[in-house]
Amino acid sequence: MDFSILSVIIFLPIFVVFVLLALPVGAKGSRNAAFVTSIMIFILAMTVYLNFEFSGYMQFIEHHEWITSYGIYYSLGIDGFSLIILMLIATLIPCAFLLLWNGRTKAYWVNMLLIQSGITGTLFAQDLILFYFFWEAMLLPVFMIIGMFGTGNRVFSTIKVTVYTIMGSLFMFICILYIGVSFFEEFGVWSFALQDVVKISSFTRSEEIWLFFGFMIAFAIKIPLFPFHTWLIQTYSNSPTGGVFLLSSIMAKLGVYGIVRFVMPLFPDLYIEFAPYFVWLGIFGLIYFGIAALMQTDIKKMFAYSSASHLGFIVTGIFSLNAYGMTGALFLIIAHAMATGALFLLVGKMEYNLKSKNISDLGGIAKQAPIFTLFFMIMLLCIVGLPGTNGFVSEFLIILGAFGMQASAGIVSALTVLVAASFMFWMFQRAILQDTDNDTSNMKDLDLKEIIGLAPIAFLIIAMGVYPDWFLFKIEPTIQHYLVDILQIKAS
Amino acid sequence: MSSFLLSWIVLVPLLSAIILGLLYLYSIKIKKLSNKVFAIFGLTSPFISFAIAGLFFIQMLQDGKTIHYEAYKWLGVGSYNVSMGFMADNLSIFMILFVTFVGGLIHVYASGYMKDDEGYGKFFFYFNFFLASMLLLVLADSPIIMFIGWEGVGLCSYLLISYYYKDSENVLAGNKAFIANRVGDFGFIVAMITMFYYAGANGFDYVSLQNSIGNVPIEIVTYIGIALFIGAVGKSAQIPLYVWLPDAMAGPTPVSALIHAATMVTAGVYMVARFHFVYELIPNVGLVIAYIGAFSALFAATIATKQTDIKKILAYSTMSQLGYMFIAVGLGSYSVGIFHVFTHAFFKALLFMGAGAVIVALHHEQNIFKMGGMKKHTPVVFFTMLIATLSIAGIPPFSGFFSKDEILLSAFASGEYLLWGIGVLTAIMTAYYMFRLFFVVFFGKNSSEDRHIVELPKSILIPLVILAVGSILTGFLGVPELLGGTNLASQWLSEWKNTSLHIDHTTESVLMLINVLAALVGIFIAYKKFYKYDMTKVPKFSGMIWNKFYIDEIYDVLFVRSIKRLSSFIAMEIDIKIIDSLLMGLSSKFISIGHLVARVQNANTRFYAFVMLCGISLISIYLIIELR
Repeated sequence: MDFSILSVIIFLPIFVVFVLLALPVGAKGSRNAAFVTSIMIFILAMTVYLNFEFSGYMQFIEHHEWITSYGIYYSLGIDGFSLIILMLIATLIPCAFLLLWNGRTKAYWVNMLLIQSGITGTLFAQDLILFYFFWEAMLLPVFMIIGMFGTGNRVFSTIKVTVYTIMGSLFMFICILYIGVSFFEEFGVWSFALQDVVKISSFTRSEEIWLFFGFMIAFAIKIPLFPFHTWLIQTYSNSPTGGVFLLSSIMAKLGVYGIVRFVMPLFPDLYIEFAPYFVWLGIFGLIYFGIAALMQTDIKKMFAYSSASHLGFIVTGIFSLNAYGMTGALFLIIAHAMATGALFLLVGKMEYNLKSKNISDLGGIAKQAPIFTLFFMIMLLCIVGLPGTNGFVSEFLIILGAFGMQASAGIVSALTVLVAASFMFWMFQRAILQDTDNDTSNMKDLDLKEIIGLAPIAFLIIAMGVYPDWFLFKIEPTIQHYLVDILQIKAS
Repeated sequence: MSSFLLSWIVLVPLLSAIILGLLYLYSIKIKKLSNKVFAIFGLTSPFISFAIAGLFFIQMLQDGKTIHYEAYKWLGVGSYNVSMGFMADNLSIFMILFVTFVGGLIHVYASGYMKDDEGYGKFFFYFNFFLASMLLLVLADSPIIMFIGWEGVGLCSYLLISYYYKDSENVLAGNKAFIANRVGDFGFIVAMITMFYYAGANGFDYVSLQNSIGNVPIEIVTYIGIALFIGAVGKSAQIPLYVWLPDAMAGPTPVSALIHAATMVTAGVYMVARFHFVYELIPNVGLVIAYIGAFSALFAATIATKQTDIKKILAYSTMSQLGYMFIAVGLGSYSVGIFHVFTHAFFKALLFMGAGAVIVALHHEQNIFKMGGMKKHTPVVFFTMLIATLSIAGIPPFSGFFSKDEILLSAFASGEYLLWGIGVLTAIMTAYYMFRLFFVVFFGKNSSEDRHIVELPKSILIPLVILAVGSILTGFLGVPELLGGTNLASQWLSEWKNTSLHIDHTTESVLMLINVLAALVGIFIAYKKFYKYDMTKVPKFSGMIWNKFYIDEIYDVLFVRSIKRLSSFIAMEIDIKIIDSLLMGLSSKFISIGHLVARVQNANTRFYAFVMLCGISLISIYLIIELR
């Protein structure tokens, strides 16, 4: 196919950025351009979604030469798992732009567009080198946006997060090179394509273990898994709203995506062998971060911990080695991206209006801004995992998955019903509901644009909770593919 | 009648709630709507549901068949298939009938009670949403759909307890209720998941589960039974998770009547009856349930004897009556327990609504020792409250007598004399504390002159009268054979009846007499101490019972504070001082290496030249050796 839709999705924002930089466009023009771009990407993504066939295999494959002498190709593709994340990106970003509408500069919008390109590139890349390229490339606009528009000790945070994640990725890069060389030694040709390198059979066990953890460190930092999480708290707290929105709702999930896309097919034996440890590590993170969130006074820090807590639970799901856990993890990726993303946007609005994100400075928001409170509540209930939201469906399935692996893991992971509820409701009471001496009369309720931005998210959260099966059928073959073709057949 | 109508029992209040919510948003944002608009939707939906349920009831009376309706496939993963399914069997339709009926009356009452509230529309939005969730809970045909309703009612309970959210105390009470219920939900989820793995292969609805539970190892069934019961303990406020219920009285009084007395809190009892096929296999767990119920009943009654807040007294009495219900269902007499749920719904709703009427009449005074003399001010409330109080005390022929008598009878017939003894003791105390309340509020001598009594609207009084009639009549559905009755309720619930119990008529009569005597003793003591009580001598309260055995304080230290301390420890100590400082230490090592290397850059040309010379020499030496 000459005209590839996936490439257009990746490069359209970059193209728009070039146009914006070339022309003397102001902040408003950039914003409008960014919004239109995001809508166009949504339409393109919908086209992909509608033309996607019910199967677990790669579709929309695109293959071009890039660095031919080393077998590095520009190759893209999409399967059910990446499709879901694509739809998430395509739906959430225009919604988020509506909430970021006012008061942002041109540079802000340029960076937002660049991040979007980096994310989609990472998501489609089927060549390890290409993946690594996008994986690092998406970090630069994040670095810029936090450094330029963040709050607090923003320069320190941005350097910390960048250096930390690049350090992690370096391990992965070395592993990628090692895998390439091994492939060359075994087959006599160069290739970094995922579909080729999974055929390598010459690895010794210790080599495999080194490579497995080399990849895992990069992803564990990005997710983050305990104990690689300390960058997250400061970064989320100091990031500007748009940055923290993208970091929490989408980029964190790419770590999970990386595990499923690369670690699982490359090292299926080790994946199965180490799965119980990662299930427990995820559960540990769920509880550990959940408890840590309780006493946070900065709402963004609290949500950072809450995010880490849920991502731990997603990891539990993907390592549970059964359809329940995997499906639940995918569902939680969606649910969490929607709810946490929206919550960060809402807190961002609160910070914009009231110049504070500290619980002790807030209170009395509910009577000032009832619609704001309503949306806040819906997102909160999704995080808490209330039935009727997709948060519940995902948590229930992951618990089921963990139970399928080990009964004790299932029982302990059921504690999730208590974890988020304990800090979320308490925060909600102090920051939003109760009257305090603080003057919060500057808080404005959502305007029509913001309501239009949040309504689809709220609708999807509830629709996916009331009728989850309708949203499952596109991803089910993919999950079967991972479980049967990759884990069962390859591992044996 | 087509079975899809079954889903409309739930859908009507749900749709009404959605409309109310949207109208409310319209009302606060665009143009203020009058209370009538909200009342039209809010009040009709429970009665429509009641009417539909009535039609199904009539149909079931005729053909005796259980009705199933599957709306759509809710979730299908692997071998796990759950439908959004509804089931009307004798148990669920019985529950639905009185939940919608009593619920409807409380809606009417609330329309008068809340008439000056700014959030009138919001209130009915919550109320209808609650009703929809409760009906889903009851009508669900599988545990997971039941759980959706179960949590829905929990959410509404939270929202309505924190209804006056500007005051942090109220929201804290709401949080407490939600968290305590979630502890219970933990048990519910664990039970569901275990059941799914061991018995869910052929379907996860009650009928399939009932068929396959027999093949599950008995230890696993025991564990499922205990875990399920943890859920019931949370929702039905039994020891040790009851602490939220007294605080839940922070909500408006109609909420206390509907959610925290007549309907939601009885969901735990309903759940045990629903899962009777599990508990029938594990009578030992049933016995534990019965004992937890009995101790909760006694414990709550003890606390109730020393409270002064009218709503708190009623809250403890609810917990105590729920304890009775658990005695019955624990011993396998599910129909008896459900019958008490049924009569209790009437008289307890009536008690709360009467209390609310008094509270409104006295400008939101809740301390009974500041009331007094209400007999002449609010005669309708007086008469209806008298009926309810007699009913809960267990005086024939009021409904509470029949249902409580049956519970104690089944305890005795099961040979559990200790349970029976606790039950009788609690009955004495119940009569005592309820009549203490009654005498103080209606006969207490309050000489203060400046009292201004608010006139009560009809919307408050009419439901009281209807419920009072109900509190008399409902008992006659359960008249035992001994008294020449046919016990219609127990016939209707025959599948849930404990058939193994037999007792001869002489013993039954003696037991019945003891129950009546117990009630009379309690009333007599209350009469002696509190009839025409002089309100100027308000008793000073102190001691263990007044302080509710310090359970709240103990829980606070054990759970709340310790977790808060742990939280600070994790975030401040482990994360920052250990993990992050290790990381930063590592990076500062790199920085010091950097400084070391940076020393080389000293801008000294001769030094650079020297280094270059060294380098070239070394390369040359290397090349010479290599090429040789």
